[in-house]
Amino acid sequence: MSEDRRQRFDGLFAAYGPDIVAYCGWRAPSPTDAQDAAADVFLTAWRRIDSVPEGEAARVWLYATARRVLANQRRSRRRHVALRERLAAEPSAIPSSDAVNPEAALVHEALARLGVLDREVLLLSEGEGLSPAQIGTVLGCIAVTARGRLHRARRRFRSIFEELSAEEHGERHSRPVSEIPATSVTHTVGGKT
Amino acid sequence: MSRSESFEALRGTNPRNEASFAEAVDAAGAEVRLRIATARATDEPRLRRVRPGGRLLGASAAGVALAAGAVVAVFLTVVSSGVTPGVENAAAAIKKAATLTAASAEQSGTVTVRITHDGQLWASKAIRWNGNDVEISDHSHGGPSSGSPLLVVNGLLYGHDPQHEGWVQLGPVSSIDPGSGTTPAEQLDAIRQDVGGTTLRRMVAAMSANGLTTKDQRDGSTVYGGTVAAGQIARETGFKEGQTIRVFPFGYVAHGAAADPASLLDTAVTVGSQGVIRNIAVTWGAWTYTVVYSSLGSTPPLVAPAHATSLLEERMRAAHGR
Repeated sequence: MSEDRRQRFDGLFAAYGPDIVAYCGWRAPSPTDAQDAAADVFLTAWRRIDSVPEGEAARVWLYATARRVLANQRRSRRRHVALRERLAAEPSAIPSSDAVNPEAALVHEALARLGVLDREVLLLSEGEGLSPAQIGTVLGCIAVTARGRLHRARRRFRSIFEELSAEEHGERHSRPVSEIPATSVTHTVGGKT
Repeated sequence: MSRSESFEALRGTNPRNEASFAEAVDAAGAEVRLRIATARATDEPRLRRVRPGGRLLGASAAGVALAAGAVVAVFLTVVSSGVTPGVENAAAAIKKAATLTAASAEQSGTVTVRITHDGQLWASKAIRWNGNDVEISDHSHGGPSSGSPLLVVNGLLYGHDPQHEGWVQLGPVSSIDPGSGTTPAEQLDAIRQDVGGTTLRRMVAAMSANGLTTKDQRDGSTVYGGTVAAGQIARETGFKEGQTIRVFPFGYVAHGAAADPASLLDTAVTVGSQGVIRNIAVTWGAWTYTVVYSSLGSTPPLVAPAHATSLLEERMRAAHGR
């Protein structure tokens, strides 16, 4: 790799590394998986540095790559989980900071109840700040389609979140305190279990 | 609840808000630099070839000098460690061995995994596979399946049951819920990942980056030595009895220093004269974790146990009062 290309790669990571780590962190089932996925994204960028577009388009290119990397990782993870479940002599479960944050658990549950694409457009918009046109590039659809999907995803998310909040509120008031779990963690985001 | 409250809550779960986010970015950066360094060291196959003995020989002095120069430049840039061309050749050789091992294990193979503490056996497991058939024997003392293997042959699952003598046919594997993550096909895929897939590649990458030593054995094998951060070997994280745990390949909990992902563990990979990995040994303190490979590509077909009791038929007979 020439010095120019190396500098370009270094600049790419400095500029967008945190964005991709955050993107993967929101979707991967564990911090180590997120770290792996982010590393895979930038390894791909390093290998194809001449194909990575310039400027803001590079960020969108990296998100699109991250989306594919995470999809591959989910397929691979299913196989790993299979082995752990059958072979592990001792139980294993991914800990989550949501365990001490009921509101975050509600958010994750609400996200999990959205369709895959709805969840993706919502997170790309709210989490990454992408415009509908940029979301369209990541997902491979036109901007109008992305805008429409984003509108529906926002509406559905709000509705589900409010419903879950009401259930949570109702449960806490209708059950003896002793029966309320210290944490209410059932969430699935992009394969998170 | 207002519209903004739900979206405020959503934004509140952004990983960027977590205290450890900067650390996560640094870790990802270190990981990608490590992968680049390793990939750069081995992405020049035209400039190298492997001797039958398994050691590397440059195709031409100029070619090797060119490749080594490029490799060293990248390492100095991204790893900031002194690396010699010889080490880079070793890195390429061990990576090729990992690739060859994975390919050899594709159809059939046998691995034995052992953990010892102070020289005493702590846990042991043997896994054989051929095509879609697999046998897993847990030899851990006192383990739940100690001495009683699990076997899949021709789509049927066999095991042992305290209520029965000998083998029990537990039923067709097709009856296992695909979503339960326990289908034999998925197990086999996972085993292959641990035998020669991403797990092995990650270990080899870490060894290469941290500095490799090589030692040629009289039998034609080569022992590659190095250190690997425990977190690179025991990648899977979990939670047990209120404590965070890490799990080694093939499903064993990492104890002692290996539980700290930053601990550097001594790792030795022995590559046989045919260029296939023969065993891996990881040591820390009084612990040793070994994976021994054998009969890769030549493990005989697995045979269904004769006279196995069919659990399904027995239950049907019981249901009909016979």
